[in-house]
Amino acid sequence: MPSERDVMRDATGTPPAENVVETLTQTVTQTVPQTVTQVQAGEVTAESVTQRSLARIAALDGEVNAFLHVARDQALAQARAIDQKRARGEPLGKLSGVAIAIKDALCTRGLPSTAASKILAGYEPPYDATVVARLRAADAVIVGKTNMDEFAMGSSSENSAFGPTHNPWDLTRTPGGSSAGSAAAVSARMVSCSLGSDTGGSIRQPAALTGTVGLKPTYGRVSRYGLIAFASSLDQVGPFATDVRGAARVLGVIAGHDPNDATSLDAPVDDYEAACGRSVRGLRIGVPDEYFSGGLDPEVASSVRHAIDALRDEGCVVKAVQLPHTRFAVATYYVLANAEASSNLARFDGVRYGLRAREGNAGRDLRAMYGATRDAGFGAEVKRRILLGTFVLSAGHYDAYYLKAQQVRTLIRRDFERAFEEVDVICSPASPTPAFRLGEKTDDPLAMYLSDVYTLPASLAGLPAISVPCEPVHSGLPVGLQIMARALEESTMLAVASAWEARSPARDLLPPLAGRA
Amino acid sequence: MPAPKIDRAVVLHVAKLASLSLSEAEADRFAGELARVVAYVAELDAVDTRDVPPTAHVLVERLPLRKDEVKPCLSREDALSQAPEVEANGFAVPAFLE
Repeated sequence: MPSERDVMRDATGTPPAENVVETLTQTVTQTVPQTVTQVQAGEVTAESVTQRSLARIAALDGEVNAFLHVARDQALAQARAIDQKRARGEPLGKLSGVAIAIKDALCTRGLPSTAASKILAGYEPPYDATVVARLRAADAVIVGKTNMDEFAMGSSSENSAFGPTHNPWDLTRTPGGSSAGSAAAVSARMVSCSLGSDTGGSIRQPAALTGTVGLKPTYGRVSRYGLIAFASSLDQVGPFATDVRGAARVLGVIAGHDPNDATSLDAPVDDYEAACGRSVRGLRIGVPDEYFSGGLDPEVASSVRHAIDALRDEGCVVKAVQLPHTRFAVATYYVLANAEASSNLARFDGVRYGLRAREGNAGRDLRAMYGATRDAGFGAEVKRRILLGTFVLSAGHYDAYYLKAQQVRTLIRRDFERAFEEVDVICSPASPTPAFRLGEKTDDPLAMYLSDVYTLPASLAGLPAISVPCEPVHSGLPVGLQIMARALEESTMLAVASAWEARSPARDLLPPLAGRA
Repeated sequence: MPAPKIDRAVVLHVAKLASLSLSEAEADRFAGELARVVAYVAELDAVDTRDVPPTAHVLVERLPLRKDEVKPCLSREDALSQAPEVEANGFAVPAFLE
């Protein structure tokens, strides 16, 4: 477990060794906008940025297991092409030369995309997800695909078919989930940014547990085309980054209308980076009592309250708000998300892609082939959720569970509508506890589900939310402040996030492991 | 309403609906786990939802419809490139008609 004295500070504090810190300040602490500026100015090449990222992955990922696939050759070729573009005097994109990691739930043309499931082992999509195409067009360099809970179903990465990811702050602990590898890769500074997806907290919870910035956009803000679907009415793609501006930069690249996604919003994309650093004086912050009650670790509570106090000192007005249906969010979510999942995952049937069972009856009978393929290809948690989802949609149970949960979802949305008449953003913890130990909750699916209690409501309401590091607990483990905003008000959320980040004691903290390469 | 009983038979029925071949041992394990989760979600019964419309989707009213136009799509070769079995330019499956 990292103690305060092991924690490295890149700007101040006592370094363990001069040369390590020098390397750190040069490469490890570089933010996305800083890298872009240097690449565009010709101070560093995209190739050297990519080489550094690949070297850090090679040095650290044996212990972390953030990556399912490292795209070494493709990344270097892409980086060289960017350097050649610059040499020809062509303008470079908003992510020039930035090494980025992509959650394995996103389709990447010619690179494996498995959603950490055996049923998609070896699958190489013939197309790029829209967000991936936009990253490439902005001259980002894709260094690899990151580990996750299978089909994004989980909060710890322990449901990956390819072994869990370890938290760079303490390798015996989970980095959270489901976007575990995307969070851990940024935390260990293998990359300065990554993409994850968030259905019920799968970006914000791992961001909180790894001390990174993680942003879930408004539902519909970012295209889902090419995201392997879990729950279509909830899934959103969003960035992780080492700082708020980095997340804002990536969001600006991936946001915007996409005709290939029927739920993509045709609304103008703000200048999100310009919102960072904007004054927050007079902004009203709501603090919901319901998010500071039973089950919340007292050290997490005091860290988050400290952050809210600091925002008050910046001129924000802090008010109590009520979100009375919060306690029904977990039940509502597990009915709706798994109902949608049971439908979405029907496509994995051994016909068009992925695994096909061939033994015995499966070689002769279509139904037997479906059943055997799905039994062999899906892990236990995915089966559990398909069964639950099918159950709540089945004859005799639909009204009692599915329709009822949809009605409670309306009440959860109304809670937020009322609260946002009074305040501009709502602040809360992102997770009730710091990172828990790998293995601690694997025998109790319900306990695992309850670890998402603070992130689920914004997902159900389709609202944007971000997790920003605040003061670690005494043992050194990171804590995340969650900031939620009205639909499409990512800019307001980012202004508050960056105001807090500027004062956060977590700002320059790195996991001990990050200093080892 | 009282929570429905979830036993091996219920699990095997639902598994059949979901095209999952489960062993009996798996079905027994899932029955216990699902019973606990279903009992937990039954807490929604306590919520008064009279006259509350369901939310199937947020922000639906803001979604534009696109024009119905023919546009380029994946080539046949690309679409078939990941199939476990291809025959006569199509996806091949075990026979399902006698």
